[in-house]
Amino acid sequence: MSKGKAYRGGERDIILKVLSFFEKEIQKETYGPRLGEIYERELIISVGQNRDSDSTELETYIENDLCVGMKFRAVMMDSGPMREFSNIVTTISKLSKESVLRIADDKLYFIVCDESSGPTPLVLWCEIPQRIFFAEYQMVGLDNEHKDIYLGMNSGNLAKLLGTLKTAKSLKMKLTKKQCPCLTLEIESASSTSQQTRNVTHDIPVIVIPRKVWPELQEPKTPEPDISIELPLLKQLRTTIDRMKTMATEVVLWASAEGRLTLQIKTDMAKVSTRFKELRVEAFGGPIEHSDSEPESQVNEDTSKLCYCRVDAKKFSMFLSADQISHNKTVCKMVHKKLVILCLETEQDVKLQCFISGIVY
Amino acid sequence: MDDGTSQYYFTASMESGKTLCSLLKAIQFQEATVFCALPDGLKLTVEEGKCVQASAYVPAENFTEYNVRDDVDIIFKISLAVLSECLNIFGSCEESSLKMYYKGEGSPLLLVLQPLSMYNVMTDCEISTQTADSILELQDEDSAEVAMLVVKAPALLALLADIEKSSDVIELNLSPEHPNVTIVTYGMLDKSCIDLPKSSEMVQSFRCEKAVTLKYQLHHIRLIMKALAISTKAILRCSSNGLLLLQLKLEREDQKQMFSEFYIVPLLDD
Repeated sequence: MSKGKAYRGGERDIILKVLSFFEKEIQKETYGPRLGEIYERELIISVGQNRDSDSTELETYIENDLCVGMKFRAVMMDSGPMREFSNIVTTISKLSKESVLRIADDKLYFIVCDESSGPTPLVLWCEIPQRIFFAEYQMVGLDNEHKDIYLGMNSGNLAKLLGTLKTAKSLKMKLTKKQCPCLTLEIESASSTSQQTRNVTHDIPVIVIPRKVWPELQEPKTPEPDISIELPLLKQLRTTIDRMKTMATEVVLWASAEGRLTLQIKTDMAKVSTRFKELRVEAFGGPIEHSDSEPESQVNEDTSKLCYCRVDAKKFSMFLSADQISHNKTVCKMVHKKLVILCLETEQDVKLQCFISGIVY
Repeated sequence: MDDGTSQYYFTASMESGKTLCSLLKAIQFQEATVFCALPDGLKLTVEEGKCVQASAYVPAENFTEYNVRDDVDIIFKISLAVLSECLNIFGSCEESSLKMYYKGEGSPLLLVLQPLSMYNVMTDCEISTQTADSILELQDEDSAEVAMLVVKAPALLALLADIEKSSDVIELNLSPEHPNVTIVTYGMLDKSCIDLPKSSEMVQSFRCEKAVTLKYQLHHIRLIMKALAISTKAILRCSSNGLLLLQLKLEREDQKQMFSEFYIVPLLDD
């Protein structure tokens, strides 16, 4: 370690910047009630050749009755996956302050629960296949029956740190025990002034989630959707929703078996409908039964081929911030009146599902 | 079809609603606007506490189609915020065509928008309308115009942006003598003056018969800044009763023009 060593000009400025960033962060950040405690962050800066040796990492056990023996260590080397990973975490952090990172043998999962849990407590389910993203990946769970590791953390912290990855050469993530269990991120970046590299270590305090909570964090079993329809460009959809949410708090989504998707708001001041047509319908489970006490349906359309769901405009807009993730397929699944599921898949086989429950009066 | 438009009091269409939208945003300092379809153009007016009256005027030539029934007055109140959000529904970087329909008293204003770059999407809006309140008649026929100044809008904007925001009052000294126009503001302990002689490059024309000093609330003057930012030319007219009229011209890429107009009531000496 070279703590306290005098650095040369340019290098020192960067380090000072990093330090002041953390000072601010430490002052302003506290955890919400679920994570319980104010955390401290330890900052270690080392330069180039003086890096910590890696040999002891896997021996860094979590000395907690609950999780003796858990190990996790993963390394990312390419800028593409790093950027993608950073975008995914940023999107997740916008949905909720807290998220669960589930580490499994073949995949990483991000899970977000609704704070005011209702019939569908999970709001986001994201799967990231480790093979494509990580150059190295090692993990050991609790025992043979409990192979996975579940960590609760502040996703905003993780997103902010990953935001610094733009110029990074590599990212190493590992589970460590400091004052509390931490997800430690080691970011190696190239120096602008010399051949040496700069390593910055961040510790994000995590909560190791006990086994009894695991069943609540499984992929939700949703009813068979009545319709699965391709979504228009997310960016376009989001612009429109953002305009609509300044006028109304709720938006009604209509999806028809004929490939039309309509967003509609209705207030005392205005009724606004944006219609997208010629969208691909992947599946339709109709006919849909409509009762009389429903919002005014579309003109000249066969209502048995039409389902709708009323959702919170803000939530819907937040989910659409996923347009930052470069995706190749987005689908909207709808359970008539009850649920909207937005599914996004990327070329790297990342699957992201957002669950928005319908508002029923 | 026989006389298809006559069932509507008013119909209009436009190839791009973008300029209209930015013009409306420039006068959007009040929630409600009075929407008035005149035979030669569209006029939207907002008022701030009977002290400032701002209008956006879109001459009919800006529309590809513009029809009003000449046997009725087409005037109603509408939410300006909702109208501009609707015009902007596809985002500010998207050009979209616009159609407007108004069937008659009590019926909503209908808008149909379609982005030019995408064929498979459209938006229709029904914006509810209300009976219009009366608009203040600020122009006094008996008061003569005492001074008139024509300036380049961007330069005037830069000048207003330089004025200390904490000042409450702005004083306008106009005189046939040099330095023709002086803008004075008062801070806590200081006074600042900006001289604007008619020889200045930003002044295109100046006329003033006798010296006059007028005071306005700076807050009121600042309301014109958004409109200045999108305009090319500004005309200031002062009448003998102190009423300030600002006429701003906005030139579109296709040489067509839209206008905004601000009447600002002066502060009286105490």
